[in-house]
Amino acid sequence: MRYTNFTPFDLVLLAQGLGVSIGLFLVTTLIGTLIGIALGVVRFYRVPVLMQVVTFITELLKNSPVLVQLFLVFFGFPNFFHINVTPVTAAVITLSANTAAFVYVIAVSAIESIGRDQVEAARVFGLTRWQVLRHVIAPQALAFSIGPLTALMVNQLQVTSLISVIGVMDLAKIGANLNLRTLQPFIVWTAVGILYYLAAKFVALLGGRLEKRLRAYSSFRGL
Amino acid sequence: MRFDLGILRPYVGFLAEGALLTAEVCVLALIGSVILGMLVAIARTSSVRWAQWLAFAYVDLFRNIPFLVQLFFFYYGLPEIGLYIDAFTTGVIALSIAGGAYASDVIRAGILAIDNGILEAAEVSGLPRRVTFTKIVLPIALRTSVRPLGSVLINMILTSSILSTITLNELTGNAKIVASETFRPFEVYVVLLVGYAVLTYIVSIAISALHRRLNRDLVEQVS
Repeated sequence: MRYTNFTPFDLVLLAQGLGVSIGLFLVTTLIGTLIGIALGVVRFYRVPVLMQVVTFITELLKNSPVLVQLFLVFFGFPNFFHINVTPVTAAVITLSANTAAFVYVIAVSAIESIGRDQVEAARVFGLTRWQVLRHVIAPQALAFSIGPLTALMVNQLQVTSLISVIGVMDLAKIGANLNLRTLQPFIVWTAVGILYYLAAKFVALLGGRLEKRLRAYSSFRGL
Repeated sequence: MRFDLGILRPYVGFLAEGALLTAEVCVLALIGSVILGMLVAIARTSSVRWAQWLAFAYVDLFRNIPFLVQLFFFYYGLPEIGLYIDAFTTGVIALSIAGGAYASDVIRAGILAIDNGILEAAEVSGLPRRVTFTKIVLPIALRTSVRPLGSVLINMILTSSILSTITLNELTGNAKIVASETFRPFEVYVVLLVGYAVLTYIVSIAISALHRRLNRDLVEQVS
């Protein structure tokens, strides 16, 4: 016998799922952003072979479905390398790598957005390449890239829903389970959709605030 | 374990079948989303307040909810209201609606980029508003948005892999079957990953060529 009605506990389940989704989103965003920036720096220093390898791998990651990447890590890695991969590990690896690939592109274009004359002027003053990166490029590049980064984050938050396919108990998976039990797809998926929507809006809001603050010094103050 | 692609030789035809289905879904969904995107872009640029609001709500909603959730909503929800359609049709509909939100933004940008002088010239020539729109505004807007629409298509190809979760055996779905028949998921998914990347790369080259060809008389503006 199965219990087909909604119970108050379903709300707890949904909150739990949302927590898992957001937690994984935060972790993978953090790791992905750090790796992406590191790769951008590799490109900035024009490290010979490494640069081409990075470009190739990021292109591959950007131009293939996240679902396939997930399957490769979750089903392929244990089979090929004989290691144990749990769904959460697979999710963290895949989403971090995917985010890193996109952050890399943003980092590269942000670094390139700073005029050559600034870099040259700084070099003439005797700053090392690292000092130029740290004191001249980084602050401006950060303000430049916060917009694209926010858009990316909103997108990556939605991509996290795919990890439900390999069995991580995130919001989408909880939705699928509730749907199976109650057989009320409209209510369940609407609730899940609203939660994702609100989360995405919240990320966009935070990004907008941050952008405003970072751009405060360069914005038009009026005459 | 050795990396051996020879295992996949008997399955090439099977995978090609899947790729063909992916192509079919994407072409149909592209047509659907461009039509939908056009209508929504018209609503968003119209002077009717409620149409503007409705169009904005649609775009906002479908861009901020994960495609997986949208897909499940349609796949499990539509039979609930007495609409029994197969996975293929559901997939095309869901992809069209999700893609339509992105396409409408692209086309809207194309419409807003049209020089006011052109509209004034049409008005002075005494053309009715409807003719101005269908014969002047829309052709120019569609023409200049070929390249961004191409990236919508590429995104769609990648997103279509998610349709494998509703039992539609397109490229990813077939690859899953091959992986479970050969017990070599690593090889299968590596090939699939590279396959998608190559596929989207070819599409992007084709789109660029088409864009340049269609806009050859205003190269200096769009290039």
